[in-house]
Amino acid sequence: MTIDCNANIGRWPFRRLSYSDPAGLLERLGRCDIRQAWVGAFEAVLARDCHMENAPLADAVSGHEALLPLATINPEFPRWEQDLCACVHSYGFRGIRVYPNYHLYTLDDPRFEALLTAAEELDVFVALAVRMTDERHHFPRCMIPPVDLGPLPALAGRHPKLRLLVVNGNNGDVGRIAGAIEGLPNLYFEMSRFESVCGVETVARRIGVERVLFGTHAPYYYPESALLKITRECRFTASEQEAILGGNAERLLGR
Amino acid sequence: MIIDCHVHIHQYYEDLEDCGGSLLPAADRMGIDKLCVSVLLGGEQPAMEDIVRSNDTVARAIERYPDRYVGYCYLNPCYLLQSLDEINRCIVDGPCRGIKLWVAMHSDQPNLDPIADRAAELQVPILQHTWIKTTGNLANEPEPRHLAALAARHPEVNFICGHSGGNWERGLKTVADLPNVYAELAGGDPEMGQTERAVGLVGAERVVWGSDADGRSFASQISKVLGADISETQKAAILGGNMERLVQR
Repeated sequence: MTIDCNANIGRWPFRRLSYSDPAGLLERLGRCDIRQAWVGAFEAVLARDCHMENAPLADAVSGHEALLPLATINPEFPRWEQDLCACVHSYGFRGIRVYPNYHLYTLDDPRFEALLTAAEELDVFVALAVRMTDERHHFPRCMIPPVDLGPLPALAGRHPKLRLLVVNGNNGDVGRIAGAIEGLPNLYFEMSRFESVCGVETVARRIGVERVLFGTHAPYYYPESALLKITRECRFTASEQEAILGGNAERLLGR
Repeated sequence: MIIDCHVHIHQYYEDLEDCGGSLLPAADRMGIDKLCVSVLLGGEQPAMEDIVRSNDTVARAIERYPDRYVGYCYLNPCYLLQSLDEINRCIVDGPCRGIKLWVAMHSDQPNLDPIADRAAELQVPILQHTWIKTTGNLANEPEPRHLAALAARHPEVNFICGHSGGNWERGLKTVADLPNVYAELAGGDPEMGQTERAVGLVGAERVVWGSDADGRSFASQISKVLGADISETQKAAILGGNMERLVQR
């Protein structure tokens, strides 16, 4: 089964997107035979208190078993610890999304590591968004640089039971830490922004196919982009394709 | 027929002797029949020797893969007289069927007029890179508004607005009312809605597909058309029909 580990629902403030409601997203992904998606709420990226978007997200996807919601937590914001506990214990979230540069902290901020410690203890995975859109086209009054992943390998090493997923990273972002992730099987990478001809294959050969998860970044991106990279452009074996399209995501989830 | 109107055959391959041959298996897997190629040696302000070497590489690529590659003649308009000579060498006497302009000069400058006049005489399109960057353009990197000014002065020339300006919402509106400007889909992220917007604003008959490979993935770029909510007829025009018409001589 193909699992999209990087999708969204809700209203993106800078462009009106089609297929941004749960049913619409599922219908659109279904055209690509994608049967499960992990979704965050677009509204949480720029909301002052992102936790206020978590219960609405849980409500929005209830009844859509194919959608796995990811809570958004901001460790720079007061009472994030209680918010995280509520997301896990009250709403049943199994993973969280973090947006360090939108939420004004860096990965070497002690509050971020505190969040990782809490996530590890609560056994929820953390999806870290390097960016949301191409920096070159950001709204001029809202320019958000990408996240510097430099501290991530050391963090992953200090939290070996924590499952960390990097989303919306590009070849360069991953390349800069690729030499430091050996022995860190808890670090995964989503591939929607891996570019160049056969770029997913190039990155996967370097960091290991077992770390690469299929993600579309729909409905911001056409979901066919990610699918065609894996199934047509690159020369993955059948078992490698299966791993990237779903097997690795299943393993991250602990199934 | 699928024609990729925007391909670079050198950027990530140090060996120019490869002539882009290593790209073709991936293009085959994606069902791409023809690739319109350029080589851009020499950075933002290439010297004429860089231009000549670039175009020589394109000529060699076409000689080696005549059924797959269509060539652009790359120019630096700062060298106007030599550019006109290069057009003669590469298009009149050579295999190229279009002109490629990158970031050496804003395309509204007077040096572009004789080049456009020559393109009109030879009935070849001009592919002009355009981008609108919040983070700041290169010193002489054209935006769609620069191309629009040139296109308005030369209604008899077909211009391809490379990348639709990157910021395609603004770029498409900038060129929408110019019937001799084609909106090109290459190079940006595969953002849902771009192709539908291009078709809605400029019409499917003036939208052309390109990838900007090999810096970009063929797959991510072709998804913009294959995944778009437009008709199959419109997809066929964008994926190849329009470009086939443009490079016919």
